[in-house]
Amino acid sequence: MFLLKLAWKNMWRNPTRTSITMVAIFFAVILSILTSSLREGIFDNLVKNVVSFYTGYLQVHRYGYQDEQILDNSFEATPSTEQKLFSEKSVSAVTPRLESFALASGDNITKGCLLVGIEPEKENQVSFLKNKIIIGEYLNGNSKDVLLSEGLANRLKLNVQDSIVLVSQGYHGATSAGRYRIAGIARFGSPDLNEKIIFMPLEAAQEFYGAKGMITAYILSLHTTRNLEAMATRLAAGLGKDFEVLTWSEIIPDIKQHIQTDNGNAKVVQGILYMLISFGIFGTLLMMMVERQFEMGMLVAIGMQKLKLMLLLALESILTVLSGCLLGILASIPVVYYFRQHPIKISGETAATYQRFGFEPVFPTSLDAAIFIRQGIIVLIIGLTLSLYTLMKAMLLNPVKAMKK
Amino acid sequence: MQYRLLFHVACFISTCIHAQTAKEIVQKANDKMRGTTSQVELTITTVRPNWTRSMDVRAWLKGSDFSLILIQAPARDKGIAFLKRKKEVWNWIPSLERTIKLPPSMMNQSWMGTDFTNDDLVKESSIVTDYNHSIVGDTIIDNRPCYIIEMIPKPEAAIIWGKLIVCIDKKDFLELHTKFFDEDGKLVNVMNAYDVKTMDNRLIPTRFEMIPLEKKNQRTEMIYRSIKYNRPIDDVFFTTEKLKTVG
Amino acid sequence: MIFTMAWRNIWRNKMRSLVIMFSITVGLFAGIDILALYRGMINARIRTVIDAEVGHLQIHDARFTQDYDPKFIVSNGPEALYAIRKLPAVKAAAARSVSFGMLATATGSSGVQINGILLEQENELSQLDKKITEGNLLNNARKNEVLIGKKLAKKMKLKCRSKLVLTFTDTTGGIVSGAFRVAGIYQSANAPLDERNVYIRMVDMNSLLNIGASFHEIAVLLKKDDALPSTQRSLEQLLPRYKIENWKEISPETDLLVKTTNQLSFILMAIIMLALAFGIINTMLMAILERTREIGMMVALGTTKIKIFLMVLLETTFLTLAGAPLGILIGWMLTEYYAKHGLDLSGMGREMMSSFGYSTTIYPEFPSDKFVGVLLIVFATAIVSSLLPAKKALQLQPVQALRR
Repeated sequence: MFLLKLAWKNMWRNPTRTSITMVAIFFAVILSILTSSLREGIFDNLVKNVVSFYTGYLQVHRYGYQDEQILDNSFEATPSTEQKLFSEKSVSAVTPRLESFALASGDNITKGCLLVGIEPEKENQVSFLKNKIIIGEYLNGNSKDVLLSEGLANRLKLNVQDSIVLVSQGYHGATSAGRYRIAGIARFGSPDLNEKIIFMPLEAAQEFYGAKGMITAYILSLHTTRNLEAMATRLAAGLGKDFEVLTWSEIIPDIKQHIQTDNGNAKVVQGILYMLISFGIFGTLLMMMVERQFEMGMLVAIGMQKLKLMLLLALESILTVLSGCLLGILASIPVVYYFRQHPIKISGETAATYQRFGFEPVFPTSLDAAIFIRQGIIVLIIGLTLSLYTLMKAMLLNPVKAMKK
Repeated sequence: MQYRLLFHVACFISTCIHAQTAKEIVQKANDKMRGTTSQVELTITTVRPNWTRSMDVRAWLKGSDFSLILIQAPARDKGIAFLKRKKEVWNWIPSLERTIKLPPSMMNQSWMGTDFTNDDLVKESSIVTDYNHSIVGDTIIDNRPCYIIEMIPKPEAAIIWGKLIVCIDKKDFLELHTKFFDEDGKLVNVMNAYDVKTMDNRLIPTRFEMIPLEKKNQRTEMIYRSIKYNRPIDDVFFTTEKLKTVG
Repeated sequence: MIFTMAWRNIWRNKMRSLVIMFSITVGLFAGIDILALYRGMINARIRTVIDAEVGHLQIHDARFTQDYDPKFIVSNGPEALYAIRKLPAVKAAAARSVSFGMLATATGSSGVQINGILLEQENELSQLDKKITEGNLLNNARKNEVLIGKKLAKKMKLKCRSKLVLTFTDTTGGIVSGAFRVAGIYQSANAPLDERNVYIRMVDMNSLLNIGASFHEIAVLLKKDDALPSTQRSLEQLLPRYKIENWKEISPETDLLVKTTNQLSFILMAIIMLALAFGIINTMLMAILERTREIGMMVALGTTKIKIFLMVLLETTFLTLAGAPLGILIGWMLTEYYAKHGLDLSGMGREMMSSFGYSTTIYPEFPSDKFVGVLLIVFATAIVSSLLPAKKALQLQPVQALRR
């Protein structure tokens, strides 16, 4: 207890010195948090953009739909199923879809397309469909209008208010055919979707496909996208064996792949950063010991046991490093938050490429609490490990030599 | 001893004759079912694990180049018609008054929900000219003695099967049973024919079922209600204009 | 005078000097290696796209790219191909017939892009021969053979010598089909592409399409990446009626990912430099704290403040000059080593990655063009970082400093 008090006093005796050491730790924490949060933020953002193309983070299907995407693998949308989905706390909204392939035809040209029945308002929360409209209006839940992708509209030479003919194989072998008015034309960032997708209000689609009350998927909106896998497992368990729950990485594995490759790179970078941080902290500690040589020599000379001295130094280090880390974590919150609200803007060619995909050309940070804690702990460990140097120095201290200066 | 040798020679000769006639047998069976032209009224039933659906259909067929299929029931689909003209398929939808040409991307889709694909309508392969045939044995189906004929697709023929085993009635040349194998010798589809009756002065099976073995409790059944053979049909009948008026 | 003093100071506390020197070393080698790593990764992706997938440029009839209607062949194809080959920047050019259709087996079917190729040209352009993992390449003397991707083979349960039927539309809109045997199975770095693309001889394709010796696509590989914009321009002048697209236009996803990674590498570089700066600043600040007495003494003895400032600055410069060559050497050696042996980042999930056909081994490339830039940044960081401690030194009150 006495030592703790002494350590505390020592820290305040030379505030400049203490603050320099603390600042070294402080900035180390901020920088590693910023790096980590930026990296995760950029890829979270990429994923967010990509899943908002169409897939969403989580999808619920009838079991077997992912392997065989046909209408006969659809299921009935019931309030009790939805209720089960909401039992997972993170689920903020549940959006039904009924999708299948259809033939779309203008005057002369016929093309294959992906015809999707949606609940317009709910869908907008998942895929921000409203923002993608370039001509005309968004769908109204009760209408029998359709929303056409730009590429398809061009290929079929159709415009807003024109009528489009849709033909498909319906539910249970029924033939589906209908003529619909084009309410709006939307531009999709994904070239693939932009060439083939058509949206229609869910009820109209169910009528078209002859599949009253049926849907092929629930798209889940989430409060948080962390621990997706665990969430999917829990949901699947709750729904039973008639359903399957898929995460975005199972639906679009190639994006996941790229991110993982890049993560490998990022780990190397993070390693290099830790190395630099270590040098910075070590340099500071080194100079601190040089500066305190006289003082230590004195303490030993007047009879302090070396073990006690080492304990004293250890306590001081722990206090300094710990407070440096805590302050770093605290200070990084507004910094990271700032870069979240005012993300780094990409410029030039990259921005143009982002915009072509309909992405906002920004690099936001991630506010995931785990990053703060993880990086804080890593720097804490680095700091404490390096502090062992001060203990070693104290152990090898020769009081006479130290005070000679 | 001499008798036994004679027996062997006889067997050898008979297999030679069989080898020569295997193709003819298939040819006869094919001619019997198709005629030069045919007009059929049939009911197609699609059986699935949790639903069943029937359609009444009329079809006009001429050679392998032309066919026209008209849906008569159920009411929802009444009037829908398909035209196959050489390598193209057209679909007439009366409720929209539109004719749509099926693009190749739709070819692997199921035709009207059955176990047939759109591609099955277009296929031009002939069980006579696109295969090498040989008699591999005989059997009895529904009290009818049958040849068992193995049909191996010719290498250049655009046929997905590795092998077909066809059972053809020896007397009346009725194709009563067909097994479709893939190249690894795995059985994929089975087709059975039943209810041999006289229609339009021809003795033919009038009920067929197609069973895909990979899919449990799934099959498609076709029942002929009437058939007329060899009535001349003009090529002009098989046009998109006719498609609109036939229903 | 200040010169020698700064020099002596460096030697007086060797440990401190070493730490600062090594910080510079690490900073420099970190800068070089991060750029090298990202350069390597970006290059790997770009090279895959250019050398193994699309080539630098592709030429089509403009109408063909709208609907992939096989009737829109490259008119005067052979002449165009000849003219393209004559351009000095062009390394190789390959003609392809392309149609979209369906691949069917006894048990299933899948939509595919069918590419009719000329084997020698294709090997030169997209290194098809190097991608074969099972079986053989197409044989020029054998009719109706097909190469399929590994992923498609798995999905359709196809093996070498398996039979399949390809169905697509011909130039009149009619549907044609042909039976093909799998000659070999290929695997590229892009599994989704492997699932979609099959290759057959152009002769087989064209006889089904009934288009004689014409084709739909010319893919062009250049000798150097830099020549892309100028070659694209000259091709546009040479062949005004065609649609000429570069790989970025054909594969915008790659462009997006590459650019994201590129930008990220610059941001990370900035953070690394900040870390370097803080390391130096803190070490020097602590050093000045330790030297309070000494500096106070100097001031008391009449050394001007400007001289002390210069002295601290010089010390840093010396240390930087000593640390830099070492950093460059280590950075260069590491890059060279991994450029030769490859840096395996697979660590976890190797199975999954390789099953997707992704390459997890990165071959870093020494960023020789950015090298001077990195050097300048590190020097500037070091000098600027020493300014604060130097300023701090000036603020010391001699009397107070000596009191200890």
